[in-house]
Amino acid sequence: MNRRFFLKSGGVALASFGLMPGAPSFLQRTALAQGLARASNGRRKMLIAIFQRGAVDGLNMVVPHGESAYYALRPTIAIPRPRTGGASAEAVIDLDGHFGLHPSLASFKSLWDERRLAIVEAVGSPDSTRSHFDAQDYMESGTPGRKSTEDGWLNRYLQAANDPKASPFRAVSLTQNLPRTMQGRAPALAISNLADFTIRAGQYSKSVQGGFEDIYEQSVGDALRGTGRETFEAVNFLKRVNPAQYKPENGARYPQGRFGQSLLQIAQLIKAGVGLEVAFTDLNGWDTHTNEGGARGQLSTLLQQFGQAISALVTDLGRERMEDVLVLTMSEFGRTVRENGTRGTDHGHANAMFLIGGATRGGRVYGQWPGLADDKLYEGRDLALTTDFRDVFAEVAHRHLGHANLQTVFPNYAPDASKLRGVIG
Amino acid sequence: MNFLKFKGRGKARGAAAFVSLLALLSNTFAVGVAGAQEQRKQQRAAQALREDERIVHVLNRLGFGPRPGDVERVRRMGLERYIEEQLQPQGIRDEAVEAKLRALPTLTMSSSELLAKYPNPGQLLRRLQREGELPPELAALRDAQQKALETQARGGGTKSVAPVAPDANENEMSATMTDKPSADAEANAGAADAGDRRESRRAMLEYMRERGLQPPQRILAELQASRILRAVYSERQLQEVLVDFWTNHFNIFAGKGADRWLLTSYDRDVIRPHALGKFRDLLEATAKSPAMLFYLDNFQSVSPNARMPGGNERRRRLQMMNPSTRERLRRQAGGGFGRLRRQNPEQMRQQQPEGAGAAQMNAQQAPPQQQRRRRGINENYARELMELHTLGVDGGYTQRDVQEVARAFTGWTILNPRGYMGDETAAQFHFSPRLHDDGEKTVLGQKIPARGGIRDGQLVLDILARHPATARFIAAKLSRRFVSDNPSPALVARVADAFTKSDGDIRATLRALFASPEFNSAEARRAKIKTPFELAVSAIRTLGGDTNGSPQLHRWIAKMGEPLYLYQAPTGYPDRADAWVNTGALLERLNFALALVGNRIPGTRVDLSRFVGRAANASGRVAGQEFVIDEFLKLIVQGDVSPKTKATLLKQLAEPLDANAGAELSDSSDDRATKRNGMPSRRAQTSKGTTTATAAVGNPEVSRIAALILGTPEFQRQ
Repeated sequence: MNRRFFLKSGGVALASFGLMPGAPSFLQRTALAQGLARASNGRRKMLIAIFQRGAVDGLNMVVPHGESAYYALRPTIAIPRPRTGGASAEAVIDLDGHFGLHPSLASFKSLWDERRLAIVEAVGSPDSTRSHFDAQDYMESGTPGRKSTEDGWLNRYLQAANDPKASPFRAVSLTQNLPRTMQGRAPALAISNLADFTIRAGQYSKSVQGGFEDIYEQSVGDALRGTGRETFEAVNFLKRVNPAQYKPENGARYPQGRFGQSLLQIAQLIKAGVGLEVAFTDLNGWDTHTNEGGARGQLSTLLQQFGQAISALVTDLGRERMEDVLVLTMSEFGRTVRENGTRGTDHGHANAMFLIGGATRGGRVYGQWPGLADDKLYEGRDLALTTDFRDVFAEVAHRHLGHANLQTVFPNYAPDASKLRGVIG
Repeated sequence: MNFLKFKGRGKARGAAAFVSLLALLSNTFAVGVAGAQEQRKQQRAAQALREDERIVHVLNRLGFGPRPGDVERVRRMGLERYIEEQLQPQGIRDEAVEAKLRALPTLTMSSSELLAKYPNPGQLLRRLQREGELPPELAALRDAQQKALETQARGGGTKSVAPVAPDANENEMSATMTDKPSADAEANAGAADAGDRRESRRAMLEYMRERGLQPPQRILAELQASRILRAVYSERQLQEVLVDFWTNHFNIFAGKGADRWLLTSYDRDVIRPHALGKFRDLLEATAKSPAMLFYLDNFQSVSPNARMPGGNERRRRLQMMNPSTRERLRRQAGGGFGRLRRQNPEQMRQQQPEGAGAAQMNAQQAPPQQQRRRRGINENYARELMELHTLGVDGGYTQRDVQEVARAFTGWTILNPRGYMGDETAAQFHFSPRLHDDGEKTVLGQKIPARGGIRDGQLVLDILARHPATARFIAAKLSRRFVSDNPSPALVARVADAFTKSDGDIRATLRALFASPEFNSAEARRAKIKTPFELAVSAIRTLGGDTNGSPQLHRWIAKMGEPLYLYQAPTGYPDRADAWVNTGALLERLNFALALVGNRIPGTRVDLSRFVGRAANASGRVAGQEFVIDEFLKLIVQGDVSPKTKATLLKQLAEPLDANAGAELSDSSDDRATKRNGMPSRRAQTSKGTTTATAAVGNPEVSRIAALILGTPEFQRQ
């Protein structure tokens, strides 16, 4: 991110605040760090990781409509084959003649056409667990099969690409509590709502905050002093950004609800130039054991919310900013290829991921497709796995965020160039 | 500011007034003068203070901080006697907390009772539907379920706040790992959808209530409340600290599947009885606890050679039950289950022969499915047992040892962990010889002969509990907890020695630790950052506050970063300052202080007027404020803050609050929450004491002082 861009994107907040003497030290440091980053590898890259908790049915999200087995095994919940003569809300939106999008993800089609959206298929955890708990744990810790890993892989990335001058907003999760994947030694913030990130004492907030600021400023020699200073800098800075007054750009419309709001707030942080590098949020409710629905219904409703929110973010940030932003979606495992007796699907194995942003070599489905024929299924029931999720995460850390030491981010995983799928170019 | 305790009040006030006056003229100058003055006084008082400092240190480390009067009480009885008394908690009377705990009925229930009386509503709903027994009011609910789901997805609500959502039966926490407050979820949901959802929830709760059933969230909420109540009120403070320590050492995540129903027994029957006992006993109690067996998967670890029960689902489930229960169920098939049957007749229908419903059942009820699938060894428990519970990660074991230990624990399982079929003996430990690998094993170089049965696992526990690496590992963790984040190797070695010599007697080990020069050193004082749980409890204690341990209070602890029983990884929360002090967490600590003194936490009350009643009526504003500052400094940080902090407080108070006098430090969103929760207004609850319209609890100046002091770096430490 160069200074011009920094100024422009930061808007009023930065012009009036960020680069003046007496500006928050974290911002000055950030500006400095960005200056350094610019000298070496260009602009600051950002990652937005999105977790679809509950295990999304990847086969109805990215539909292998070229497989007759798909239709044979899903008599009531399959999405009808693409219609000739244009998209339909009742049928798969074709991508490449074999795969297509669920009609509720119609907003992704243009991103695909512009080569800004890539899909990785048959990706997941090499551990075979079908427990939500264990599988989410492994995907977030980045150590499949190993439970005692103390920190998450995103946090290990932050530790490994250590930046002692990082902004307190370097890693932010728009969730109530810090997710497993961001827990660890590197600082990371969980903020469920930017407006709450302040001293909350009603009409006395200002004077009380002043008191706390003074007390921490005076506590020379106490390690908490630095934390206190950073805290108030961050609070004051966010106030200037004024989250309540945010207006999305380019006609972007975020769907109602927590998920849309969290992406809106991520966009806000990015535009405010607060030094964000890694953002996280999640969306629940994908565990569709019963009445999953096909082109319409339960899954469709969720996908619509998911797709619209992400598309709104992309629209809001605009092309130039999206050059530096990568949206990565993940879910703990896939679901059974066969629909079950209650018109839903049960816990399966491999799944699909989206990578969206200027950095992706989009318009392609990556990973080896194992097929849905009986003898190709994992344990006779699930989509088989051909890509370890760490192959994708490692590529994101390495090629997008620009971090070289993958050994510490993914212990017990031997990264090598042949494992990277080339999604990021 | 130690002098406050020993100098005449008038003189202290005079000095403070002087400082305050200067503060108005020049901050820097004031600080300089106050600092010099302070140093001299501190030097003079140093000798006399040592004993009181030690008392405060012990009250902070062996407990959750002093309540008003505690320091004097311990001084009277003698510090050494107090420590010895704390090491023998069974001799301490504790009626006050026991009375409060009676409000929490789940604490005394068995796991099977909890499973029966606090069923998972989603599971219940599905079962009724499957069996075609959906009552009309719930049939409507079923239709609304779809909508609820959509809302849930939009609103991001968790399973715990949306009992009608189609819970994954395997892990009802499936959708999230977090403990999200319901208010937040509701606020996020669209208003209309939220209405539908409330309606659905009400219908389900009504259905359950009519049958004497309650939502399962109550179980964890009561367990969390019990921990808060005991920490705040129990006289057996060291016992509570150790319960906290061992609960974290042998961490279990309540969000994993059946563990929500199993943790109550874990706390009551496993951790508490052994917290100050023999480590070996504690270790075996955890190894056999259904909560741990479930959390670390050992309950489904079976010998690859084991004969698994075949046949249909029903037969498999019966196999997983206690033989006598199984027999009884067979006898009673078609008949009654006794009490539980009457309460919950639908459970009985699972007994009926399976026809077309069998596939559904298999599909929907994942746990037996998983049991079926996992035919073989699961190494999770074996690994964590060595890495986290005993030897430590560098304890010198190999992958081969992990495999051998896992073999030794095959067959250590749980009978019917989810209480299907209303089994009254559900969710208990069971050793199944049929599932056990009975071959010879070698663990850490020691042979365990073949055909040892349950003795295999017990021998492993013997080997591990008495291993020198375990002594070092436990000694290091205890030293870190009680002394400092980086205890010296010499201290750890001495504590390990005490552990070994006493054959792992926790009490004897602690006695050595508390007697060590390191524990009693000036360096150790305030060397530890309080965890959020410690901070919340110590704040309530220091103000002599009252609490019922409500979920709203727990929510604050969660916001500060330490939801109880909700740490996912088996490592437990890290015990280091850097884990607790970061930008977001510090902000929440300050906001917690404000919420507490503003009486904005439903179920928790502090009465500041009792400390400053006289000051509030004092005429001169400045004099009153200084008095208030001194009183709260004494109360909250034993008058022991840096001179600069005190000068800052004085300066702060020289700036009048800009808003209407008489209003409290409030936050409109919290006020709404208070109203919603139906708590009586603060006005109605305020002090009975000397209050006037401007006094104490209702006085924002007083609240501000207390909050600022609770927010000082000094109070974040212990």
